[in-house]
Amino acid sequence: MKKTISGVALAAACATALTGCAGGGAKAGGAGSTLSIATMTLPQSLDPADANGSALPFFQAVYDTLIKREPDGSYSPMLATEWKYSGDRTELKLTLRDGVKFDDGSPFDAAAVKANMERFGKKAGAQAKTLKDVKSITADDATHVTVKLAQPNPAMLYYLSDAAGLMANPKSFTKPGDPLKTKPDGTGPYELDSAKSAIGTKWVYTRAKNYWGSKLPYEGVTISYFDNETAIVNGVKTGQLNAALLQNADQQAGIESDPKVKTVKQEFDFQGMILFDRGGALVPALKDARVRQALNLAIDRATMLSKIRQGRGTATSQIFGAKSAGYVPELDTAYPHDPAKARDLLKQAGFASGFTLKLPRIQAIVPDALASSLQTDLNAIGVKLTWDDVDAGAVRRIFTDRAYPAMVMNLGQPDADWIGVGDYVLPGVFNMFGTSDDTLKSLLPKIQAAPDGTAKADLQALNRHLVEQAWFVPFYRMSYLHVSDGTVRVTPQSGMAVPALYNYAPAK
Amino acid sequence: MSGDGGGRGNNGGKGGGGGNGVLRRVLRNPLGLVSAVVLALIVLAVLFAPLLSPQGPNVASLRDSFGGPTGGHPLGFDSAGRDMVARLLYGGRNTLGGALLALVVALVIGVPSGLLAGYRGGRFDAAASWVVNLVMALPAMVVLLASRAILGPTVWVLMVVLGVLISPSFFRLVRGVVAGVRGELYVDAARVAGLSDARIVARHVLIVVRAPIIIQTALVAGIAIGLQAGLEFLGVGSGSTPTWGAMLNEAFGNIQRAPTMIVWPGLALGLTSASLVLLASALRDALEDRGAPAARRKARRGGSGLVSSELASPELVSPGLVSSEPAPSESVLSESAPSEPAPSGPVSGEVGERAELLSVRGLRVAYDLADGTVKEVVHGVDIDVRAGEIVGLVGESGSGKTQTAFSVLGILPEGGRVAGGSVTVAGTEIVGLDERAHRALRGTVVAYVPQEPMSNLDPSFTIGTQLTEPMRYKLKISRAEARKRALDLLRQVEITDPERVFASYPHQISGGMAQRVLIAGAMSCDPDLLIADEPTTALDVLVQAEVLGLLRRLQRERGMGVLLVTHNLGVVADVCDRVAVMHDGRIVETGTAEQILHAPEEPYTRRLLGAVLDRAPARGAWKGETA
Amino acid sequence: MLSFVARRVAAGVVLLFVISLLSYLLLSIPDLDVGRQLLGSNAPQATVDAKNAELGLDRPVFVQYADWLAHAVRGDFGTSWFTGENVVQALSTRLPVTVSLMLGVTGVTAVLSLLLGVWAGVRRGVADRVVQVLGVLGYALPGFLVTLIIVVVFAVKLRWFPAIGYTDIAESVPGWLSTITLPVASLSVAGVAGVSQQVRGAVIDVLRRDYVRTLRARGLPPSRVLFRHVLRNAAAPALTVLGMQFVGLLGGAVLVEQIFGLPGIGSMTVTYTTRGDIPVIMALVSVTVVGVIAVNLLVDVLIGWLDPKARTA
Repeated sequence: MKKTISGVALAAACATALTGCAGGGAKAGGAGSTLSIATMTLPQSLDPADANGSALPFFQAVYDTLIKREPDGSYSPMLATEWKYSGDRTELKLTLRDGVKFDDGSPFDAAAVKANMERFGKKAGAQAKTLKDVKSITADDATHVTVKLAQPNPAMLYYLSDAAGLMANPKSFTKPGDPLKTKPDGTGPYELDSAKSAIGTKWVYTRAKNYWGSKLPYEGVTISYFDNETAIVNGVKTGQLNAALLQNADQQAGIESDPKVKTVKQEFDFQGMILFDRGGALVPALKDARVRQALNLAIDRATMLSKIRQGRGTATSQIFGAKSAGYVPELDTAYPHDPAKARDLLKQAGFASGFTLKLPRIQAIVPDALASSLQTDLNAIGVKLTWDDVDAGAVRRIFTDRAYPAMVMNLGQPDADWIGVGDYVLPGVFNMFGTSDDTLKSLLPKIQAAPDGTAKADLQALNRHLVEQAWFVPFYRMSYLHVSDGTVRVTPQSGMAVPALYNYAPAK
Repeated sequence: MSGDGGGRGNNGGKGGGGGNGVLRRVLRNPLGLVSAVVLALIVLAVLFAPLLSPQGPNVASLRDSFGGPTGGHPLGFDSAGRDMVARLLYGGRNTLGGALLALVVALVIGVPSGLLAGYRGGRFDAAASWVVNLVMALPAMVVLLASRAILGPTVWVLMVVLGVLISPSFFRLVRGVVAGVRGELYVDAARVAGLSDARIVARHVLIVVRAPIIIQTALVAGIAIGLQAGLEFLGVGSGSTPTWGAMLNEAFGNIQRAPTMIVWPGLALGLTSASLVLLASALRDALEDRGAPAARRKARRGGSGLVSSELASPELVSPGLVSSEPAPSESVLSESAPSEPAPSGPVSGEVGERAELLSVRGLRVAYDLADGTVKEVVHGVDIDVRAGEIVGLVGESGSGKTQTAFSVLGILPEGGRVAGGSVTVAGTEIVGLDERAHRALRGTVVAYVPQEPMSNLDPSFTIGTQLTEPMRYKLKISRAEARKRALDLLRQVEITDPERVFASYPHQISGGMAQRVLIAGAMSCDPDLLIADEPTTALDVLVQAEVLGLLRRLQRERGMGVLLVTHNLGVVADVCDRVAVMHDGRIVETGTAEQILHAPEEPYTRRLLGAVLDRAPARGAWKGETA
Repeated sequence: MLSFVARRVAAGVVLLFVISLLSYLLLSIPDLDVGRQLLGSNAPQATVDAKNAELGLDRPVFVQYADWLAHAVRGDFGTSWFTGENVVQALSTRLPVTVSLMLGVTGVTAVLSLLLGVWAGVRRGVADRVVQVLGVLGYALPGFLVTLIIVVVFAVKLRWFPAIGYTDIAESVPGWLSTITLPVASLSVAGVAGVSQQVRGAVIDVLRRDYVRTLRARGLPPSRVLFRHVLRNAAAPALTVLGMQFVGLLGGAVLVEQIFGLPGIGSMTVTYTTRGDIPVIMALVSVTVVGVIAVNLLVDVLIGWLDPKARTA
């Protein structure tokens, strides 16, 4: 025993002497230093066509978007300085910033916008669907672009501030082998340092020399990929990482106790059961709204939240997030825990003896505690829940084969209401059986065509209708924790789990 | 001696598989007992889970989650509000059941194929070995993950795949042992006797591989349990099936909220693994004690060091046929044989006048046994050797003659020590002499020729190296000088091609040749006294005579004194000037060779003479007898 | 000797081919719908189908494999489906991490096991008990628990070493040392526990051999007998176990790589296999198999060097 310990200690002493202080990997003290961010999201590549959701910061470092989305969700000029819809909201005119150049000197202009957006819509990228309403893109002159839409799309400005708005040098499009995948070519504030980067594990960005806009506070940014939060927590505690987002409640609790670590809470994803089979194709009982309501009443949200998420979040019965226009505060408590009433509803619907639900279970999303508490709660109203253990990879059965009537998922709650509506309400992957009804048919077109900020009432009506019809069984909004080693101030990005790259600044 | 030695070796081997004797030995070892009891308790608890646990393993009440111990729930609740006791007991069923499944799969695949490959060799062996290489080169993690994706994420799938992946370890183990045994004489004999292959495998071969398989099984069980927990931690888990690994992982996921939750599954896993490894080591010790001498022989003969290295345990070994001077514990046993009480006190006319070269007075040799008691094996021996004389020390196996010889050399085995008396070598008292000074005498003053030639040469070095190394160390001469002397010595011991032998490894030369090499080695530093322990016993009759002649010649040329330890009165008659007869740790009679051979005074000596004469003709063919 | 190596290499090539085929089939059977995983669960089915076609996943498995093989033999392992990285490049950044770990662990294990094993085997008594207890502890403690304790104590609390990350040896030798010390220590616990028992057993076994007694009887000092003869003879079994350990680390380092956030091939194997990133996994499999074959060959050559009997066999 002695021998081992002294051996280890000796090795320790040597290495410490050699490195001076091994603990401080990244120094993000003041301006002019490097920011080190941890992520659990891998970008598929650095080609804007592959940009998606939480991977956005990887792209924001090297590309600019047409429109900038501020932390509060409002839009401000970036590569486009002005934008204006036509009266029927099917035509969007963009005025572009003059004098912006790509690295090779070729100008960023209307032709570039046209080329980028057309390519984005055609490529098999995750966000390609966001431009599906775009009918044509016209370069009016070097700095003016007209985007014609087949139908109004309330989320179009959001998309142009997101993946679809990322502008790459069109010269790269025609080169063989799609070089953008590993050699991004944009007008962004940083450049990828290929020599220091190890794609797949570490992306090292250094400040672009002739950036057109105002400089970001850091000379360089390093984004490191981790496959578990334990490593991230240790990295932040030792200052090797400056900032990260923690989703796991226990990891959050673990890091909060560290006095140096600074934290900011944000609610973004909600967890709940998406009832796909509202038409009763697989489980006839689900066709009846009373049955779906019964499921909602059966769930003891408060206990689940306090035990499974250690109270980190807010119980809710609606899928609209607190920052969205359609959000109705009182709907959070629309379905209290009331098993008696639930049994009653089942009886009314003719399912007094209950029925069986067989749901897929991805262990990373549905931990033991959640799996068994749902079983217990539903069993209490006579619904037998069985879990089918599947791997994260086994998605074909769920989404293509439509083998399950419902699924427990963690889903985002975007601020831009139309995005949520598009994902969760319109026929599509999460409405895979294409359920609709008259109320929806009248509300949706109105919402779609409404000018910015005028659809609030209709959105809330939609929300109420969805809750009443119990399309979903939401459990709670989960609060995530932005953590930093104390040297960085992180501003959460409204409607996004991951902050934009612009939201990091040295702590005062 | 060789006859009964062989018989004993054989019995040891046959019983070595794990009969009652071994079980008793394991249980007598405190660690073995504790680990066996712990394992038995765990297995029983897990088997009777439905009776012992307060509720089902999946009965959950989220409200109770993280709850501490309450009346009916002595260990409290887990993160889902399930009873910890129930989880532990049912989880143990799946964990141990999974390990068992992996083991069964590995055994079913590995053992029969290993038996067949080892026993038959040839094409099947080649094919099986190729497949085994394939399995061993498979990227285990990829195979596990892919099989899981194909067959479903259950602990059983993982364990079956794991079983397949670890089956090569059983295959290689069994194949190695069996291939070693196949060439053994008793298997040959069985074949000659007309037994079918199946009978031979069942009666002789299986018995030999039983012990190593049992040990390997205990170790692999521990590994399977540990791996299962590790996979769970990586998220490659058992799905909804409760296992200890899953519990550990769940506890780890809530380590901030409920840090103590990790204790119970951790303890269950740790205790089980530790018990398994301790049991394996107790088993090993039990088998080792029992078959040690035979075991050593086999490992050496079987040739491939790899065979025994699989588990690096000497017990992988089959019965040997020849026995060297038995280990002390065995000599204790064998000494119960004589029916007549041995005369007490030294029977020697030499007390008082002590020889200059070697003089032993009242030598007692004792062994400290494992149970703390002391066993004396030599009870006061007097013996003298003068320069230029050959003294035979005669006695049956276990009479203490080798112990006496080793005392003079100062090379008693572990646990043995000179408990009293006096030994002077060339005037130096060596009892109580410090090791360094004693060492200085070895080689230059007193030298040793061992009994069995092959086992007394280091297989990893050439004959030349082994001859020159002591010379260079003791005589401080150059490499070239040592080489010259070594070649000279080889010539002196009548080796015809000294250069070739010099460059050879021990396994490349014959037994007779090896014995000559050992004699040359003993002569290399010009000793005054030679202690030869049964120097011809292991040799063919013809070679025996040659080697004896050689010894006699060298002794005369150099005027050495020789203490010749032997049980063979024929050898005594050939070369000895004087003889001391030893029985049960005492000298019973001393005299000139002629006197002892022709007019023995003691009944024991007479009996010895009679026995030797009866067995004499068979001596050369002893190998055949033992089967 | 040369023909022995040549024969082994040829057999290795056949093995490599068979294993690559098996692996491709194993990886293809589950149908992990890579397109859907790439594009997210809310992507339209048509886009997903287009993505799968783009990756060539709409072709029969054997055509896919043949295509892979045709490129692979020319050293072209393609690009990752999930990160777009060049597979060869990806491996060349990750392999050094795991190889550093493997070499470090094997070195530490060899040295410590030798010391402890010889100490226990020669001294027996208390030393023996201590080494055996250590062995049982190292064997029985779950690996990740050991690792977590080591991180928390030496990195998070004491700050002696970095808690995460890897510095390449080419970049900074002290940095490299400091980043691999704790991972190596974590992995060595079990290794030392196991191998020291083997060394102990082998030493005890050799010490009981007749030739050791004979060497002592020639007047050679115990240290010389021990270091020259006993160790040489005990080395072969120890080397075999060490070789097996080394090979096991190829996959066994996963836990440690994850906890230390080391971008090695262990954690790569788990993540990429779960996702079904076939180009990356196939390259990993190839490298692993080559590594296993090479290590086994090296061990056999070394044993042949140590054990003259194995040489002629």
